[in-house]
Amino acid sequence: MSIEQQQVGKLHLIRVNGRLDHNQTPQLEAHLTRLLDAGHHFLVTDLTQTDYINSGGLRCLVSAWRKARQREGDLVLCGLNNRLQEIFNMVGFDKVFQIYPDPEAAQQAIINRG
Amino acid sequence: MGKKHVLTVPGLYDEIKTICQFVMQGAEAAGMDETALFHIELACDEACTNVIEHAYGGEGGGDVKVSWQVKGNVFIITVMDNGRRFEPDQIPAPPPADNVDKIKIGGLGIHFMRKLMDEVSFSFNPQTGNELIMKKKIKTEAS
Repeated sequence: MSIEQQQVGKLHLIRVNGRLDHNQTPQLEAHLTRLLDAGHHFLVTDLTQTDYINSGGLRCLVSAWRKARQREGDLVLCGLNNRLQEIFNMVGFDKVFQIYPDPEAAQQAIINRG
Repeated sequence: MGKKHVLTVPGLYDEIKTICQFVMQGAEAAGMDETALFHIELACDEACTNVIEHAYGGEGGGDVKVSWQVKGNVFIITVMDNGRRFEPDQIPAPPPADNVDKIKIGGLGIHFMRKLMDEVSFSFNPQTGNELIMKKKIKTEAS
């Protein structure tokens, strides 16, 4: 798995390329924790290139989302393929996260919130 | 009934991929479509993670024995371990996600197994340990 990061104003875009499984989720967890601890609380996680997620991957995203919200920020998602969308729906996480079709829509939504 | 295919590996997170591939190869040979293969992979992943985390209390606690078999139009996966008794009923289902402040993130693995497979059953024998049986009807691309 590889993670790419881009900063656009106050928000950070994190692209996850690969699988969010037990071996690779810790890498994303460390990345998100580093950003949040550095005071970056507006995060867009782009899952366009992510083809697998298990409960550990979901736990990682919820944990980061919760931390961002506690700090008056947010973590939103974009680019979920049908399989990932099915998994999010299965546990109701589609109602927890703001999910956008692509990074541009996600960025615009956060920017519009001011 | 088709032949039973068995794989035994150490209870390590790195071995989960091996188990998933072993079972998915069987499911593919049985004619499962892509969506079913994804469901089976995730169910096996969660089942093995539970064995390592709950039955063995961490990595290196013992072996995980997995088998697959085709019976009629049903694909049957069995996951066995020699760890502590696993009592799935004591793990609550995830609460509805409408109250975002109360979201708990435990118990998702079992929830996935039950949603992704047609039948899931757990049993425990003091001599042989935990046995999880998961069944999924075979729906081929053509059907």
